[in-house]
Amino acid sequence: MTTIALQVNRRAVELSAEPRTSLADFVRDKLDLTGTHLGCEHGVCGACTVLLDGVPARSCITYAAACEGADVTTIEGLDEDEVTTELRAAFTREHALQCGYCTPGMLVSARDLVLRLPDADERRIRVGLSGNLCRCTGYVGIVRAVQSVIEARRARNIAPLADGGRTSLGPVGSGRAAPGRSESRPALQTLALASENATPGSIPDFIPATVLDQRFTLAHPPAKVFAMFDDIAAIAACLPGVSLKSPPSPERVEGLIRVRLGPIAASFEGAARVERDPATLSGRIIGIGTDQRSHSATQGEIRYRLLPLDDGAATAVELSIGYTLTGLPAQVGRPGLVRDLARRLVADFAANLDRHISGVPSEARAPAELSFWSIVSDVLRARIARILGRRSGAG
Amino acid sequence: MKPAPFAYERPRDLDAALSMLAASSGSAKIIAGGQSLGPMLNLRLVQPELIVDISGLAELKRAEVSGNELVLGALVTHADIEDGRTADVTRGAMRGVAANIAYRAVRNRGTIGGSLSHADPAADWISSLAALGARVTLRSLGGARTMPVAAFVVGALESALHAGEIVEAIHVPMRSASSHWGYAKSCRKTGEFAHAIGAVLIDPAVASARVVIGAIDTAPIVITDAAELFSGRIAADYKQRFDASVADGLLAKAGIDDAAQRHIHVSVLKRAVQEAAA
Repeated sequence: MTTIALQVNRRAVELSAEPRTSLADFVRDKLDLTGTHLGCEHGVCGACTVLLDGVPARSCITYAAACEGADVTTIEGLDEDEVTTELRAAFTREHALQCGYCTPGMLVSARDLVLRLPDADERRIRVGLSGNLCRCTGYVGIVRAVQSVIEARRARNIAPLADGGRTSLGPVGSGRAAPGRSESRPALQTLALASENATPGSIPDFIPATVLDQRFTLAHPPAKVFAMFDDIAAIAACLPGVSLKSPPSPERVEGLIRVRLGPIAASFEGAARVERDPATLSGRIIGIGTDQRSHSATQGEIRYRLLPLDDGAATAVELSIGYTLTGLPAQVGRPGLVRDLARRLVADFAANLDRHISGVPSEARAPAELSFWSIVSDVLRARIARILGRRSGAG
Repeated sequence: MKPAPFAYERPRDLDAALSMLAASSGSAKIIAGGQSLGPMLNLRLVQPELIVDISGLAELKRAEVSGNELVLGALVTHADIEDGRTADVTRGAMRGVAANIAYRAVRNRGTIGGSLSHADPAADWISSLAALGARVTLRSLGGARTMPVAAFVVGALESALHAGEIVEAIHVPMRSASSHWGYAKSCRKTGEFAHAIGAVLIDPAVASARVVIGAIDTAPIVITDAAELFSGRIAADYKQRFDASVADGLLAKAGIDDAAQRHIHVSVLKRAVQEAAA
């Protein structure tokens, strides 16, 4: 817990709260100011919008600890405010609310528009309110209410204030705090190893949501490359972020794959099944894993086919990597970012495989690790090295 | 949706922040306005042990014209730029970009340095600053280094920042009086993440053009010598000379396999070119 001192609705407040407490939870739970509503809790819906140092801010993605010394005004603090009083009357007149859930945030944003916009331009008002979602009344009445207040004020020769009256630089609410820290660090979460329940008895087939194809050629005969694909430990070592739990059997392998997308990290623990067909020089590795921390799961498969080139002196490797991601990270709604990650993963895998078969020492992998797989921890690298009985890369 | 517990520190100055970052060996995250990191914390996509809040550091809240460039501290907000609280050396280009980032309540806290650090391909500054030829200064305990914004983003949410390093300042070059600027983006809803971004800085007087195709789910395509997009020559009639098929080819080369996606990107780039010529 940390002690947070700030002004709420012109009243000095000093209360302790966890650092992770949002400003919205702080005013709602500690001060009973429940007019601030929480909708999406990730900055999209606008229901939690309050005034921070006099201008609108999202209280769901602003932590109370970051507002030390700041001046907070919630909807309750706008009872006597002139613009808000006019807006309330206009909202009533224009039927600009129904269930009322979005209304506190809507009023805070509308007040800002009334102060800043030069005139009652409908498009600018609609754009200005685009960060406040209403799911029942619709926006016609709300826009009309805001228009009418702007028109009335400009008719009374009240000039707009384009910058909302702010003069200093930097995030609103910041800058008046003394240096400090929370007293207690959270205890390191001890995560139960999920090896038992993450290792299903059978690994089912699936249809991947995303498939990436890659083709590259190796200056080695197909038989040699095919033998390499039989060496599961070596293949795993070429997959960035993968570590094996125990020496694999020819058909089944258990291990861990760590992936990172910017600040998002996941560690999937699971098992994979290996299939090979020497007649067609093809095969596949199909796996399933879960990440305890993010409550997400992934299924993935690597299909490969080897084709002789140059009368069998060289090999074309056709790789098809498919995966499906479920759970929290999959709900972010940005599938393109995950595709980019997978694309880089596949490119690294192909490059590592090429180096391995060509006999280039593993040191050559350092640049790839630095650029993208820098997250693969030293521990994992050491484990891979131990399994393979050879010196690892830059670790 | 509440974040997992984290410890919180508010360093007294930049050096203290860098020391905390260095001591954390990767388990700490820097937070400034928190408008990108906050949602990720709330969704528990990110669970750092320590949050180092730099939002109060006055040394990062500066904006000054130095020689031929504007130096913006990392904590300058989108609204600071939108409202003109910072000098504008881009003849309105940056103000226009800033005014259309997310929503006003977000712009009041979201910072230019934080947006770059987050390296979301769909974010506005990554593409617009690359087109403007801006540079970014990164600082760690070991010292500072400066690189073009165009080289800073290396992939989706992946920047050139090393562990222990933070974005300190952005250097924006003076935009020449004869240059034209165009910026367009396509969002499914106003203020949402862009699905396509086009940014062009064209100077027909000296036959130069910088073109950026952004929001492509990875680092933007930056074309510093964009004559090929204008049938080999940049002249006053560049709007007529714009060759959509060359842009389409660049996108295909960058791995955008979906023809519909390429069409959206090319159309948005075309809008940016038209805006520049208007």
